[in-house]
Amino acid sequence: MTAPLMTPAAASQSTPPPVVQVRDMDFSYGASVALHDINLSVEYHRVTALIGPSGCGKSTLLRCINRMNDRVTGARVTRGEVLVKGKNIHDADVDLTQLRKQVGMVFQKSNPFPKTIYENVAYGLRIHGEKNKSVLDEAVERSLTHAALWEDLKDRLHTSALALSGGQQQRLCIARAIATVPDVLLMDEPCSALDPISTLKIEELMHQLAKEFTVVIVTHNMQQAVRVSDYTAFLHLGKLVEFAPTEELFTNPRERLTESYLRGTFS
Amino acid sequence: MNSSQTPSRPPLRSVLLRSRKHTILGFDPQKLIKYFFGSNASVAIIVLVLIMVFLMREGVDFLPTYQRELQTYRRAGLEFCDIIDQPLQRNQALSSSLRQALSASLETLSKTARDRRDAAFQLKRQVEDKTARPRESLTQALEKTPPPAPDQIEVLRRELKEAATSAAKSLEYPDLFTAAEREQLQREFAALTPESTDMPPLLQALVAEFSAKDREARTKFAALVTAQEEFEEATEPLQEVLDELKAKALETKEKAVEFEALETNRLRLLEAAAKETDAEEKASLTKEAEASVAEPVNMEERTKEITERTAELREQVEKYAGVVEKAAAELPQEAGTEAARRLINEVRADIPAHAREMRAAAARLDGWRWDKPVSIFSVIGAFFFGTQWITNSSWQDFFGFVPLLTGSLVIAAIAIVIATPVSVVAAIYTNQFASDREKEIIKPIIEFIQAIPSVVLGFIGISLVGNLIKDVSEWSWLQWVPGFPIQERLNMFNAGCLLAFMAVPTMFSLSEDALNNVPRAYIDASDALGATKLQTVFRVIVPAGISGILSAILLGLGRVVGETMVVLLVAGNRIAIPDFSAGPGVIFHPAHTLTGIIAQELGEVSRGSSHWQALFMVGIVLFAISLLVNWCARAVARRFEPHKA
Repeated sequence: MTAPLMTPAAASQSTPPPVVQVRDMDFSYGASVALHDINLSVEYHRVTALIGPSGCGKSTLLRCINRMNDRVTGARVTRGEVLVKGKNIHDADVDLTQLRKQVGMVFQKSNPFPKTIYENVAYGLRIHGEKNKSVLDEAVERSLTHAALWEDLKDRLHTSALALSGGQQQRLCIARAIATVPDVLLMDEPCSALDPISTLKIEELMHQLAKEFTVVIVTHNMQQAVRVSDYTAFLHLGKLVEFAPTEELFTNPRERLTESYLRGTFS
Repeated sequence: MNSSQTPSRPPLRSVLLRSRKHTILGFDPQKLIKYFFGSNASVAIIVLVLIMVFLMREGVDFLPTYQRELQTYRRAGLEFCDIIDQPLQRNQALSSSLRQALSASLETLSKTARDRRDAAFQLKRQVEDKTARPRESLTQALEKTPPPAPDQIEVLRRELKEAATSAAKSLEYPDLFTAAEREQLQREFAALTPESTDMPPLLQALVAEFSAKDREARTKFAALVTAQEEFEEATEPLQEVLDELKAKALETKEKAVEFEALETNRLRLLEAAAKETDAEEKASLTKEAEASVAEPVNMEERTKEITERTAELREQVEKYAGVVEKAAAELPQEAGTEAARRLINEVRADIPAHAREMRAAAARLDGWRWDKPVSIFSVIGAFFFGTQWITNSSWQDFFGFVPLLTGSLVIAAIAIVIATPVSVVAAIYTNQFASDREKEIIKPIIEFIQAIPSVVLGFIGISLVGNLIKDVSEWSWLQWVPGFPIQERLNMFNAGCLLAFMAVPTMFSLSEDALNNVPRAYIDASDALGATKLQTVFRVIVPAGISGILSAILLGLGRVVGETMVVLLVAGNRIAIPDFSAGPGVIFHPAHTLTGIIAQELGEVSRGSSHWQALFMVGIVLFAISLLVNWCARAVARRFEPHKA
């Protein structure tokens, strides 16, 4: 583990530069402000967890990173900026499809397409223009292997993805998201709809994934944050209360608010 | 017992009693409400069952009735005559082709002369129309008794003369006439009087000119003239024999039908008499029954009179075939125009097959037996695969289902081919690309189409679409389209267009629903992978909604097949299998439909007749088709339902 970073501001000056940087960002849905003055840096090949009570804006923050909020009418960043690999993603010359190719996402509820397993994984490559069969085959095998599905599914790649179990479906969604080899993988409460065993498998997977990708995960489960993440950010009412290495945040929180949330004595 | 210990709770027994107080006619109100709702739901099912039972009851008798009719058709010898008569019909088609070729050829020489003659007569008629009033007054004056004063008549004559002169001057003389001829015509028209019965000299000359040209043309194309005449006359001796036999057969049939009617009547009267208790009534009924006696027809003997002449008939057929083949050999290679030459070649190519068919028919005559029973299977075949729907015929009614089915299917296919892209694309646009404001405009407008009464659409089809299609089909740069220029304004394409219009709301709304039902999560996933809007629509949303779209198309098909008013008004109502040899241009031919035939004929047939029953059979088939289409739509929706795999 690298040396603990005391503040997000300090992180921006260290090398290598953070893959995602959120600077002084305000975000609102129409008139209502959802996020206020957010500063966050996400390091390469680390798992960063966003925690906080319901409605604190953690999912909104996650969706700011791949501009998924663009589809909501009236939703916009009103101040500050979001940088991915040093580039402001709201610049006019940013191609949204390229951004999303580099910032993959896994949703709360598994959502494989009603296609075959193979086509699900290959979808991302296909829409970015890949037609070469051997490239696609190779990517499907690599992604499914990463998602710990290859051994189970290699003989039925051309059957419907909807026939898989819930945990397998979610891992298929992860495979689909990493098939385009993104730099960052956003995960929005990926285990909240899964049973404990499936959850365990995905958590194991996350450690593996961190070797190749940078993971940002939203979770409402604090134990999970402890188990999987290197850094944790605690949000409350649209503000980033504390951002620190996970161990530090959970054992020795600096803010009283963090402490009371961790202890479960939230007013 | 326990309850008695706690005073706040009523004892168990009293609770039971209280509920018994609230009964209606001994029923628990809760149950009554349940039955009420249940019965409302079952009304729909009961009505459906009743409809099916009613249709079946009326239609199912058709097969035995038709079987009896076909039996009579055979036993009376009508079938025997038709063996020869049906292939002989081909002669008329070939003849008419030859006539067309001939007149086209003759026209190459005589057209100008004929046009000049016709134009001159047309002009004369115009002058007569314009001078009708003075002419009438003069005629009346001349016929009066006693005749009016000569000077009075003179005045009227002058008036007529003046009117005729000015009328003749005001006419537009076509370029067919030279300047001198125009002047002469004008003079002759001005001089027309009621007494002049002779044609003016120039008109006479024009008539003569045409006759001369026509004669010349007939000499030039003498070979064609003779061949055509020979061909047309070739049928005469055969037709003579055949007509004799047909008359005989028809007489037998009529007698048999009459006998059967009287016999049925007699049996009914006797039955009534047997039931009657009053002696006087009984006697009168019996008497009436005795009066209703007809002479039974000896079918065997009468049919024998027909079959006895088989040899003669065969001989005539053989002769006919010979003459026709000879005429084919004599058909000239050359004709006046290219089209005429093509027609002649077609006829030449067709004649050997026609002659073969005639000879084959003649060979079948010997195998024909008057008393061979008509099996129920052949009756079913005659209905479902029969190619003729002929009713109110003096010869024989045939209820063949194929022409109607073909019409219905072709029209439905046209409608679906047009409506599917329109409604599916509109649904995709509205669901995925339109702004909320556009949605608010598009959806109600498309759904409003459903509210247009179909008779109004039919009216539009007759008055507007028909003329439009006909005009467009005459544009010279569109002549490559098969079937253009079209002959009939009312045709299957016209009906198909209007039905497509009617099917669009159903198909649009259901497709839109199907797209709406595609889970939001699919779109999220696709967006998050960096897909563009179009990629998401065509790679994820449409494939996921395809089952709903297919079932929307099928339900649209159900609507189209069952639609009546538009096809009745617009499809042209010709009861014949459309001529598929015209290729894709067949869609511009008129046709009749399953629904249209019921609407058109059911009101006019007598209840319980075979025709009535046949229409009910058509209704049953229509009902079955609708059920099948709806069942398919449901099956498709289930089969391809991806969200529940």
